[in-house]
Amino acid sequence: MKNKILMFWFIVAVVIVSTILIFVKPTKLGLDLVGGSRLILEAETTDSIAKITPDVMNRLQFAIEQRVNKLGVAETVVQQVGDKRLLIEIPNVTDLKEAKAFIGETAQLEFKKEGKAPDGSPIWVSTGLTGQDLAKSTLSTDATGQWVVSLEFNAEGAKKFADLTKALVGQQMAIFFDGELQSAPRVNEAIYGGKAQISGGESGFAYDEAERMVNLLNAGALPVPAKIVEENTVGPTLGADSIAKSKKAGIIGLSAVMIFMIAFYHVPGLIADIALVIYSLILFAAFKTIPVTLTLAGIAGFILSIGMAVDANILIFERTKEELRAGRNLFTAINSGFDRAFTSIFDSNMTTIITCTILYLLGTSVVKGFALTLALGVIVSMFSAITITKNFMHLIFGTGELKHPGLFGLKKEEIGQSYEATETKREKARFGILD
Amino acid sequence: MINTSRKNLVHVVKYRWWWMLLTTILLVPGIIAMIYSSVTYSNHSPMKVGIDYTGGTILQYGLEQKLQNSDVAKTRKNLEQAGIENPYIQILNVNSDQQKNTKSNINSIISIRTKFIDKGSNDQEKISEQLNKEYTNPELISVSSVGPTMGKELFKNSLIAVTLAFLGIVAYLSFRFRFDYALAAILGVLHDVIFVCGVFSILGLLYNVQIDGLFITAILTVIGFSVHDTIVVFDRIRENLRYYSKKMSFGEIVDASVNQTLTRSINTSLTTLITLLALYFFGGVTTRDFVLAMILGIAIGTYSSIFFCSMLVDFWNDNQNKAKVTA
Repeated sequence: MKNKILMFWFIVAVVIVSTILIFVKPTKLGLDLVGGSRLILEAETTDSIAKITPDVMNRLQFAIEQRVNKLGVAETVVQQVGDKRLLIEIPNVTDLKEAKAFIGETAQLEFKKEGKAPDGSPIWVSTGLTGQDLAKSTLSTDATGQWVVSLEFNAEGAKKFADLTKALVGQQMAIFFDGELQSAPRVNEAIYGGKAQISGGESGFAYDEAERMVNLLNAGALPVPAKIVEENTVGPTLGADSIAKSKKAGIIGLSAVMIFMIAFYHVPGLIADIALVIYSLILFAAFKTIPVTLTLAGIAGFILSIGMAVDANILIFERTKEELRAGRNLFTAINSGFDRAFTSIFDSNMTTIITCTILYLLGTSVVKGFALTLALGVIVSMFSAITITKNFMHLIFGTGELKHPGLFGLKKEEIGQSYEATETKREKARFGILD
Repeated sequence: MINTSRKNLVHVVKYRWWWMLLTTILLVPGIIAMIYSSVTYSNHSPMKVGIDYTGGTILQYGLEQKLQNSDVAKTRKNLEQAGIENPYIQILNVNSDQQKNTKSNINSIISIRTKFIDKGSNDQEKISEQLNKEYTNPELISVSSVGPTMGKELFKNSLIAVTLAFLGIVAYLSFRFRFDYALAAILGVLHDVIFVCGVFSILGLLYNVQIDGLFITAILTVIGFSVHDTIVVFDRIRENLRYYSKKMSFGEIVDASVNQTLTRSINTSLTTLITLLALYFFGGVTTRDFVLAMILGIAIGTYSSIFFCSMLVDFWNDNQNKAKVTA
């Protein structure tokens, strides 16, 4: 009995710690619940870079991080998946299109000069002066009030630019941004000092357009072009709606299960319900502590695990009822009920954990969330449904004969009627049967 | 004897052929639908597959007004005229009761599926523009897009996941029980998976229901659950064999074991179904098909663990004994 009381206080301690954790720790909600963008970017090879090496990926990741940080949103994620993809998560975006356009642009700035194609037609050819030679870029207006992008070269870039303009006096020099011609001014004289301006050509720049170019130039060009191969964006309204609905479904589901358990198993049912509430507390605290990012699929996994957690209790109670029908006293019936149900519970939970592990290792991030919450649920339920329920059952029912079969949902005439169990000596010792 | 006073509620062994017949009735329509779909769909898949596997883009807009089904045809025509190839349009009506909980005043969601909107395409702008003309203040609430190569990879990964799950379970059960039990459990799982896929194939044909990445998750959960149920029955058979193998025939033991675990099997499924039904009726629209797959799977999983798997174990045992007698 001393052990039982000790265990009881241990359970109380776990509940208190869990409750504190729930209040102290923030809940991490997934993008599908708060709203946000999840993008997968794939690096593409170019003529000059024929193979995507880890070094290229690191540079791409750095460049993308720079840009994502410029969006000014907290808790963004940029990480490499596989050998040529980047996963980008941006929570709380309101303008879905803007963020996407900003990330996908290569932002390759190039200065080109006039040249001739093999067939004699005029084309623009590279000069070797690119965005890599820039020190910084700013937004300003020119004499006519038009928006322009001002460029400032670094030392090497300034020299290249001076040499280039000296050589091109009297000719046109073109400025390309991401392969698109921005403007092609005629060079009147050599320019020293390392400064230049890009005007938006004949139509001029709109403010947004110029601002975006400045931001992209300052964040740096991508080492290779990259394109979005997967996108999942959820607006904030849909996210809020999902949270409200999941809460409602969870509360309704949980209450219905609790009512069912009391209706079917009476007092043990009530004990299972208490264990279920404790289960939810521990699991929720675990989610916050690890932390597990809660997604819609994750919540579904959590609600499903409620149903599965009760399963262990149903197995145990059915077994205990059988033992009581056989006329055993309470202590023995409860003990053998738990003991005999344990192999079923253990084996079946192991198979769930096997499938969850596979889902976690192979699944997409949505599936991973589901697998993780379900697996955690199964593990916690082994503790709540077995340890907690057993402890409460013993403390409440004690060791005597069953005087009120109704407490277990049994009829008086059922007792001692069926199931002649034959136990081995070892089992008898374990269940505490005295013949 | 086991259960002297309580009558057996179900007779697995005695009505073996009836259970086989019922299994056939349950599975055949779905199998026919899957074969029909494989032949008629252009990508030869047994079920209608969503963008997760084929690649494509889905744009969802929230609208204040309630939409009618007649709006679908009109919007499709307008979008086609705007240059969108084969747009597929669905309307989800938001339950007005649920909507009180949230601040949004969205009454219906229009979902537009197109081919993958690649870099440089302005299809998304075209669609937004067109909807702006047709409805008042459509709000873009979600975008999901999967590139064609990504889709193929996801599909491959899903198949690998399902195969590994099967192998993992067979390995575990062979280790804990016997190989023939493991095989019976796996056949039971296969039975459940075919049933759920069959129903979704039929739903695909009738209501355009498509399977996505979450569907595979549901299938894997059903696999776990179905095995879970079967183990409980087998565990009981194993236990009863220890005590009664000399007094009773194998068939009697199977029947008794099924009946002893019957309340538990049904109650467990009920509690899980209760939570799933709550999710289905009150949870988010996006996970509804996922939940439906699990509801179907868990219901059929209970049936298969009670009737199908235990029948198989008994059937094999019978044949083995006959083989021994003749030899």
